[in-house]
Amino acid sequence: MEQFDVAIVGGGPGGYVAAIRAAKSGLTVALIEGNELGGTCLNRGCIPSKTLLKHAEVLKQIKDSSALAIHVENVSVDLATMIERKNNVINQLKNGIKGLLRQNKIKYYQGYGYVADDGKVTIKSEKSNENIQAKHVILATGSQVFIPPIQGAQEVTMYTSDTIFDIEEIPERLVIVGGGVIGLEIACIFNSLGTKVDIVEMAERILPMEDREAGEFLKKELENDGITFHIDAQVTEFKKTETDNKVIFHKDGKEITLETDIILMSVGRRPNVTGIEDLTIQFDGPFVKVDKNMQTSQPNIYAVGDLIGGFQLAHAASNEGIRAVDHILGNENKKNAIIPHCVYTFPEIASVGFTEEQAKEAGHQVKVKKIDLAGNGKAISALENKGFMKIIADKKYNEVLGVVMVGAHVTEMISQATAFMHLEGTVEEIESMVFPHPTLAEGLFEAASAYLGKGIHYN
Amino acid sequence: MAQEIFMPKLSSTMEVGTLLQWFKEEGDSVEVGEPLFEIMTDKINIEVESYEEGILLKRYFDVDDEVPINTVIGYIGEADEQVPDTAPSQEGKIEETPALEQNEEKVEADPSYEQAETSEESGKVRATPAARKIARDNDVELQYVSGSGPKGRVHKQDVLDYAKENKVLITPLAEKMAKDHALDLSAIQGTGVRGKIDKQDVENYLASHKATSEETERVKLKGLRKAIADKMLESARTIPHVTLTTEVDMTAVINIRKQLLPIVEEQTGFRLSFTEIIIKATAHTLMKYPKLNASLIKDEIVFNRDVNIGLAVAVENGLIVPSIHNADKKGLAELTEVSKTLGMKARDSKLTPEEMTGSTFTISNLGMYAIDGFTPIINPPETAILGVGRINEKPVVVDKEIKIKPMMVLSLSFDHRAIDGAPAAEFLTALKETLENPFSILV
Repeated sequence: MEQFDVAIVGGGPGGYVAAIRAAKSGLTVALIEGNELGGTCLNRGCIPSKTLLKHAEVLKQIKDSSALAIHVENVSVDLATMIERKNNVINQLKNGIKGLLRQNKIKYYQGYGYVADDGKVTIKSEKSNENIQAKHVILATGSQVFIPPIQGAQEVTMYTSDTIFDIEEIPERLVIVGGGVIGLEIACIFNSLGTKVDIVEMAERILPMEDREAGEFLKKELENDGITFHIDAQVTEFKKTETDNKVIFHKDGKEITLETDIILMSVGRRPNVTGIEDLTIQFDGPFVKVDKNMQTSQPNIYAVGDLIGGFQLAHAASNEGIRAVDHILGNENKKNAIIPHCVYTFPEIASVGFTEEQAKEAGHQVKVKKIDLAGNGKAISALENKGFMKIIADKKYNEVLGVVMVGAHVTEMISQATAFMHLEGTVEEIESMVFPHPTLAEGLFEAASAYLGKGIHYN
Repeated sequence: MAQEIFMPKLSSTMEVGTLLQWFKEEGDSVEVGEPLFEIMTDKINIEVESYEEGILLKRYFDVDDEVPINTVIGYIGEADEQVPDTAPSQEGKIEETPALEQNEEKVEADPSYEQAETSEESGKVRATPAARKIARDNDVELQYVSGSGPKGRVHKQDVLDYAKENKVLITPLAEKMAKDHALDLSAIQGTGVRGKIDKQDVENYLASHKATSEETERVKLKGLRKAIADKMLESARTIPHVTLTTEVDMTAVINIRKQLLPIVEEQTGFRLSFTEIIIKATAHTLMKYPKLNASLIKDEIVFNRDVNIGLAVAVENGLIVPSIHNADKKGLAELTEVSKTLGMKARDSKLTPEEMTGSTFTISNLGMYAIDGFTPIINPPETAILGVGRINEKPVVVDKEIKIKPMMVLSLSFDHRAIDGAPAAEFLTALKETLENPFSILV
């Protein structure tokens, strides 16, 4: 039986990053993946959606190009080639991961790992069963799409994020159940492709995890682009007819029926506990319970990523994987990481830290400054002056508690806010930093100076 | 002619005095007998009164400065009299103020720079004016900077190097928090990259110090408490103590006190207490056992001619030992008056240096408490101390019969370097006999 310092179950952004960090730190590493390397993020999540969103963005720009006196006619879309490009992108990145595993001498097992308390891992594949023994195990099994038990769900033409990125035909009508990040990004893709998109959300607002103002701003923009929202609406039944599919939901006490070609189910994800059933570890609700070092109740077993809940984001999982390895190497993780989160809609939303509501709940003396990007020079020149930037700080030391950005390219700009928080710069330090002009990024400076009552273009 | 104010020598062992406070500012007028400053010696802290009348022209030392005895610490004189800018040395010479060419850097004509470097003798650091300015600007304490110049003089570059080496890495947020709580950054453990202090570190520091500061009051050891602490530590650490105890039948002392009480009270207005009788008996016995009345100073045993009894007096936040000079020569009435007066003066911090020094043997009486015996610590350079317990009625065997007698335990600690067990035991036995037959002290 082959022996390893660390066995990592799951080859997504939590698992493979941990594997590389562990190997680079001198540990012997086994990485076990039953499906595809790169996990949900690379194969069925972040990367395919961002690839198709680029297509959608160009289509949207073409549609809006007459405002720039550019007139484009007879635009046609080749969906099959788009999907092929998406697959090429995935394969290129997957080959990259494979190369890194080889380069770092990580033993890659193709098969599903079943873990025992003592660190024994049984790898089951179609061909064989193999056992390995590891001093430490990192569980990085990720999550699965959750499909709620709604009547008729099995009969209708239903897609999830696992299948939608391989769709063969552009539907005329799409009903998306769930107005979270995944639902909204896919809504933007199909809206640009010309599909009529309806979003049915159970909560009283879209993006319930994001800043309220950001969600409201995005909803208005998406409505302007032709997407229809049904908020505070409870889906009760799906029905398949000969010609189409029906989504039946209740809103304001009324029953409403939407007719559609396809349905996308995007109400959330559930931790994937396959292979860890035999472990005597503690759970926190559906998630594996861990401490700041990602250690489970079994000291030799660690867990990272979607399996432990939290943000369920690729970069969060990677950071957790690195923390787990750090702890295996004998270093204590004392601090919580600051995890930014991005929504790649049109416009984008990017945030880090507390929302205004969360900051108040946490007992801070909250002061908020929001500045609109409507007057930003670079934004106006690029016809992208829709959005805002908002600083949420504690009045006492002007500690930056959170930053919310809405607008074009904000996912590329949130890291400067994260940097301030990570290095514990306060609002004064943002204000005293020089930002290049003209940029959208100047919005953060304007927000900081306005916060301090020293605004140049804003008050 | 302006008169020097000297650091007084208040005891035979005093070498330096620590300035605790000035009661007068430069320019204030001073009367004879007015308290001028307060100092702490190895024994006690004391207010020093002015011997002169006039204007306090100059103060050369600040609070907490340690000043050798007989150093000029200031001047009193007429308003417009000239006095030296720096403290004259002990030989009476005025130290040279360094000439300007010594300074590598020219600085703005700020009068405070003119004082330039001060000598080590006065406890100050040698530094150029430029170094001092840079140190002030950078919050650097010069005493920590090692000087590269002649005689260790600190130059500007030394301060800059020091400031650079000792720069504390701290995030802006953590710095704001630390400033807000007036924290000493050097006390905070930074856990960030290269030991950078972050918010969590400050919070951890505050949390750990909050817990203790809320639960327990912390008082810095200073003034009288510090003097006692130093003295007790020195005594306990350097003197091999041996403590002997014996029990004394106090029947006769009680009787004699009962008879003398009205007489002494009428004569002095004070009530005779057992303490005075014990002082008298002790002084009387010490005359016969000079070894117990000796002082050990360096490597000499000094057999004191006078019997000066130190009487430990509890005062607020401490203990003072005024000295009853020639206790053996004083009658009980006089002893009562002196010991009561000294006790009051001790509690009111009004003892003169003479009254506080010169004791050759100390008595510590805890008889007013439920204490029988204890192990008193010797008050150096003395070589013995007597601890007095309560008078307690006890069954004792007298002539094969159990009788109830008022008994009192005496505890004698002695310095085994100077005295051996046998002579100490002889003394204590003699003292016991004296107290049990107290008429001998009256004759």
